[in-house]
Amino acid sequence: MKSYFGIFKMQFKGQLQYRAKAISGLTTQFFWGLFKIYLYLAFMINQAVDGFTTSQMVSYIWLGQAFFAVSFISLPKNSEQEIVKGDVCYKFIRPLNLYNQWFFESFGEKLANILLRCFPIIIIALILPSPLTLSAPTSWVHFILFLTSLIISLFLSVTLGMVAVYLTIKTLMPKGALDIVNVISGLLGGFYIPLPFMPQSIQNVLNYLPFRYVSDLPFRIYSGSLDISTSIIQIAISLAWLFALIFVVKLLMHFALKKTIVQGG
Amino acid sequence: MLYKKYLKMHLKSSFEYRLNTIFVGVSQSLITVGELLALYFMFQTFESVGPWGFYECLLMFGILMTAYPIVECFFRGYDNFSLLVKFGELDRLLVRPVNIHYQILGSKIEFSKIGRVFVGIIASVIALLNLNITFTFAKILVLIASYLCAICFFLGVFVLSAGISVFTIEKMEFLNIITNGSKELANYPINIYTKWITRFFTFVLPVACFNYLPLSYLMDVGNLPSWLYAISPIFGMLFAVPCFAFFNLSLKKYQGTGT
Repeated sequence: MKSYFGIFKMQFKGQLQYRAKAISGLTTQFFWGLFKIYLYLAFMINQAVDGFTTSQMVSYIWLGQAFFAVSFISLPKNSEQEIVKGDVCYKFIRPLNLYNQWFFESFGEKLANILLRCFPIIIIALILPSPLTLSAPTSWVHFILFLTSLIISLFLSVTLGMVAVYLTIKTLMPKGALDIVNVISGLLGGFYIPLPFMPQSIQNVLNYLPFRYVSDLPFRIYSGSLDISTSIIQIAISLAWLFALIFVVKLLMHFALKKTIVQGG
Repeated sequence: MLYKKYLKMHLKSSFEYRLNTIFVGVSQSLITVGELLALYFMFQTFESVGPWGFYECLLMFGILMTAYPIVECFFRGYDNFSLLVKFGELDRLLVRPVNIHYQILGSKIEFSKIGRVFVGIIASVIALLNLNITFTFAKILVLIASYLCAICFFLGVFVLSAGISVFTIEKMEFLNIITNGSKELANYPINIYTKWITRFFTFVLPVACFNYLPLSYLMDVGNLPSWLYAISPIFGMLFAVPCFAFFNLSLKKYQGTGT
């Protein structure tokens, strides 16, 4: 466990070095948020949506941008090259579980990314004028539930990243694998359009899939569009999904790695 | 002539990795399909946005999603131009007795983007079949011009960012706001956003010229005289001219990175 923590710390510290990159990423995210908010405001002028007000929508979008690294599924930084080029054999040699090595690398990377980017966006969003402003959380309970849910989301996001790693191992095509995972989780998880804008029948189905627990649930809880008891139930579901997914992906990875052929290098 | 050779070479190399090209092509088109579904779901919940309905938006989406991948496929070289600058490869290209633009064009052709073009075309066809447009000769011309305008626009943006990278060496991520941002915005009619966004993306970056302006002409709506809507794609195409001029100018100032 200590060595996994070391891997995490290394990636975390490494990622913190890229401050200039974070700043330019931040600008992009900020404008993205603005564009999206103006777009949905235009839609919502004509017609209200049940249980999702404009100010809730604005908070939802800003948080989505602030925690972009959670919503966006990514591969551990070097895994792409390691798998395709065969460098992965160095990781095999270590007396550590390969899945866990990648998992903690990815986790450290994402956490650093989030910490670098979330505060500036949140602060700017808080001081923006009226229709664009990020509202304060509905209550302390909501805020604590939001944080809990966000942490689970982060783990879920890393785990879905591991699904992409698995597909990369199977296909040796990291870009395609990542694209597919991101389209599915983005569309079904509320990253393309906020889930309250989806038809109700589809939303009902999505409650049973893991994707909305990555990039929808925490932001819904924060904005207060879910009441406390529903939030707690859904957090429990997301936790169940997290364990189930980790179990399945670990199992798949175990079988995939048994048959790995590292070709030269 | 030379371009033909480049084209053949890239085609051959992507056929070597057939499975890879197909897999990436399919996953890329899935992204576009995902965006299309998002658009569809939005209009399942909302009936309209501003004065526009689903099929109008679908046509704008179709124009965008046909043109953008075409530019990505054939003009990717400009997008990757910063790498040439960064690693000093540009010096090598400059000493060759062939026009630099030929070489940039030939440096990268991504056939995996073609799948997305099909999605864009299908979206356009569905939209055109469902919209009540009484086609005249002029309207057909304007429609074709909108596609060309979109291609010219994104080409111009790529060339512009290539020109900037001569000075900055690194590719600037904030330029993404211009390339991807205008792509993202053009999914929907530009005039539904707030005024400053609409103005900026009409007069500075003429996204509107392949977006709601020509569509207003096709649908016979809008407050301006209709000939103004009709010629808007031409105004948009002109955007590429200063971009190329800037690129050529910045090449003259190129000093090399010393690698």
